[in-house]
Amino acid sequence: MKVRRPNLTLLKKIFLVDLIRGLFLTFSYQRPSLNYTEQYPKVRPKIAERFRGAPRLNNDPETGETLCIACNLCALACPEHCIEVGWERDAHGKKALTEYTFDISRCMFCGLCEDACPTPALELTQDFELGLYDRRDMKWDRQKLEEGNQPVVYTK
Amino acid sequence: MSTKEEQTLFDASEITVSMGPQHPSTHGVLQVKLKLDGERVIDAECVIGYLHRGVEKLGEAQTYGQFVPTLDRMDYIAAVSNCLGYCEAVEKLLSVTAPPRAQYIRVIMTELNRISSHLLWLGTHAIDLGAVTVFLYCFREREEILKIFENYCGARLTTHMFRIGGTQYEIYEGFQDQVRAFVKDFPKKADEYETLLTENRIWIGRTRGVGVISAKDAIDMGLSGPSLRGSGVEWDLRKAKPYAVYSDFQFDIPVGEHGDTYDRYMVRLEEMRQSARIVGQAVEKIPDGPLMAKMSKIIKPPIGDIYHSIEAPKGELGYYIVSDGSTQAYRTRVRPPSFVNLQSLKRMVAGHMVADVVAIIGTLDIVLGEIDR
Amino acid sequence: MDFAIDYILIPFIKIFIVFNVVAGVVALLTLAERKVAAWIQVRLGPMRVGPYGILQPLADGIKLMLKEDIVPAGADKWIFTLAPVISLVPAFIVFAVIPFGPADAFTIMGHKVGYVITDLNIGVLYVLSISSVSILGIILGGWASNSKYPLLGALRSAAQMVSYEVALGFSIIGVLILAGSLSLVKIVEAQKAAGYWYVFLQPLGFILFFACGIAETNRAPFDLPEAESELVAGFHTEYSGFRFSIYFIAEYASMIVVSCMAVTLFWGGWLRPFPNVHILDFLDAIPLAPLFWFAAKVVVFIYAYLWFRWTWPRYRYDQLMKVGWQWLLPLAMANVIVTAVLVLLLKG
Repeated sequence: MKVRRPNLTLLKKIFLVDLIRGLFLTFSYQRPSLNYTEQYPKVRPKIAERFRGAPRLNNDPETGETLCIACNLCALACPEHCIEVGWERDAHGKKALTEYTFDISRCMFCGLCEDACPTPALELTQDFELGLYDRRDMKWDRQKLEEGNQPVVYTK
Repeated sequence: MSTKEEQTLFDASEITVSMGPQHPSTHGVLQVKLKLDGERVIDAECVIGYLHRGVEKLGEAQTYGQFVPTLDRMDYIAAVSNCLGYCEAVEKLLSVTAPPRAQYIRVIMTELNRISSHLLWLGTHAIDLGAVTVFLYCFREREEILKIFENYCGARLTTHMFRIGGTQYEIYEGFQDQVRAFVKDFPKKADEYETLLTENRIWIGRTRGVGVISAKDAIDMGLSGPSLRGSGVEWDLRKAKPYAVYSDFQFDIPVGEHGDTYDRYMVRLEEMRQSARIVGQAVEKIPDGPLMAKMSKIIKPPIGDIYHSIEAPKGELGYYIVSDGSTQAYRTRVRPPSFVNLQSLKRMVAGHMVADVVAIIGTLDIVLGEIDR
Repeated sequence: MDFAIDYILIPFIKIFIVFNVVAGVVALLTLAERKVAAWIQVRLGPMRVGPYGILQPLADGIKLMLKEDIVPAGADKWIFTLAPVISLVPAFIVFAVIPFGPADAFTIMGHKVGYVITDLNIGVLYVLSISSVSILGIILGGWASNSKYPLLGALRSAAQMVSYEVALGFSIIGVLILAGSLSLVKIVEAQKAAGYWYVFLQPLGFILFFACGIAETNRAPFDLPEAESELVAGFHTEYSGFRFSIYFIAEYASMIVVSCMAVTLFWGGWLRPFPNVHILDFLDAIPLAPLFWFAAKVVVFIYAYLWFRWTWPRYRYDQLMKVGWQWLLPLAMANVIVTAVLVLLLKG
């Protein structure tokens, strides 16, 4: 299929029809109802449910114990090797989570760790405000991961 | 200039201007060394490599599955296409086929991504030629696509949308309605861009006869994608070597005639409409079934090599993978469309003016992340 | 004593007022540009500084003043410093002859005071000649920067200005033939006497004038000297901070000048619509009515400026020359001839 190659007719050329049509279009777009701006941070954006943002380690809502079974699959799946899982054997010889570090400065939020996790423990949340003043703060430990990221919310 | 005394004004008859790597319209960190005679370009030399991150080498250091998100950073505007090409290449190597449901989702997403990539191209191309407002209108529509992406997989730009063997995510509630609404709305929006540009005398003046490349030259240069089709060669891998489930859909391949910037502009505009057409067909008949093919979690392809190429928004995107039987590729080689297309820049700009150089860089639709890898 | 009041005190007060008003309008224009651009592009524009962002020009001004003042190595320091000023001053002193209202509107203590600083009998020539000086600022600035992009921008602007100046001059002549005067006040009064604005007799002349005016002020679609996508920022690539803002102010001030000239020459200056239909006389009863009508018309043209910029692509250098020499100039000349012949035949 050949694409069109329109030529301006003489009459259109003389009366600047092509230019004026453009002007009409841009003029008609000045209605405030057509506005597309999101006034972040005044208005919070709508984040999709599946958004892959700041990681969080979920606890069992009833017992308050961690859901992580320290299987290390997330650390193996991570392309950037930014997850470190520490564990020890408890009295029954079962693995128990001791430490968990997540280096969000290296994370590219690909979601492979979330895919790999056999329990609902590791989750990438809808939180996207990850700006920090210090690079050292970007290594999140277990406590921070369980609390989840708590960004400062500006209302004005 | 015969004597030194005559060379008083600016000491030379030609000046060398370094356009880029920090320049508003080189679309990234491309450097073009221009030799100018006044405003006319005598010679141009491209300097690339400012964005080299060793993506191909990373492909040897990571497992097949881990390498996929890295590929999103190559042509970051069309991340879904990159993902699709690699996943299909590895699937071919493994002799697995993704289930039909996954295939349909893949086609919808890739075509939406083609529209978003072309929209970004149109916006930046128009900005290069001074029409700033088109850029914002294009981004408004692109935003709708990115919202679909965000809802589907949780990321907007570097999506990591597919996995080897299928897709990870099930379509979300309201997906079809959102896509249908977009497909219905889009042709009207495309007409608006046309109102602003297609018949505009300034736009015509700036694009017709600029950066002409003949069909033969284009083939010799290895051009692909809309840059090739603008010269009148009907070559589209979706039709020529159908992959995924493209053979299920009705669509046309728009081709130009004159091989100039204007034809390439029209080809891309029409391609967006055709993509919307494909999406419209695909979304109506997404089959039921599993999302992932039955395969082992640890991907270990047999010893061998494979070349698989797809039609990315910018042209033929090929992957050559050599497997040594382990979980990591022995060698990954990418055939990026932008890199190959860029080499025609020198031929296209010769004899044109400085203002045309930005038009031609724009019309080639290059992404430096893909060129330098 | 009377002499001192008539020729020193009153003009001084007028100049003070006009200067400040123009400077204020320029500041507002920077906001207007951003707001209009935003509305056209389905955005909101600046919203954070003050309600609806109205204090944005203030913030911009403070920011630009606090910026480091950079003079590139190898630049001609003197000319580099002087060039923005050369471009700014003519843009402002042109306002000396622009009639914002009747020249003798009211009498205060026996002294006639009007809405114009001075009614020069060769006002049109004064405007044309002075405004062409500001080109010098652009050329010198581009040249003194000792950098390639500004140099290209300066060369472009030199060629552009020279070619459009000619067509601009020709496009006005039709009006001058009709009015029979070079004084801007007299031209408006002639329109009042005739009972219609000259745009209705000179539509082509007006379009040509406005097109050339846009080119003269380096605005889109003729903004080649500062085409940001080609020449980074054209002649002011190397300028930063307050020096840059002087160029900026000069550009906006000349936009106002061209709008004022278009209003004065073609759209009846301070006259209300239908100046001789007496039923509408109540329209003149508004306090400062001439100023209101003048300002309202100028605003329309300023808006057109912004509107054009955010709608159309940019011409290429050679196409610009072609438009200037092959279309605008011959049309302007033809307009002059046709007007002259018609005036001769009809008025005898």
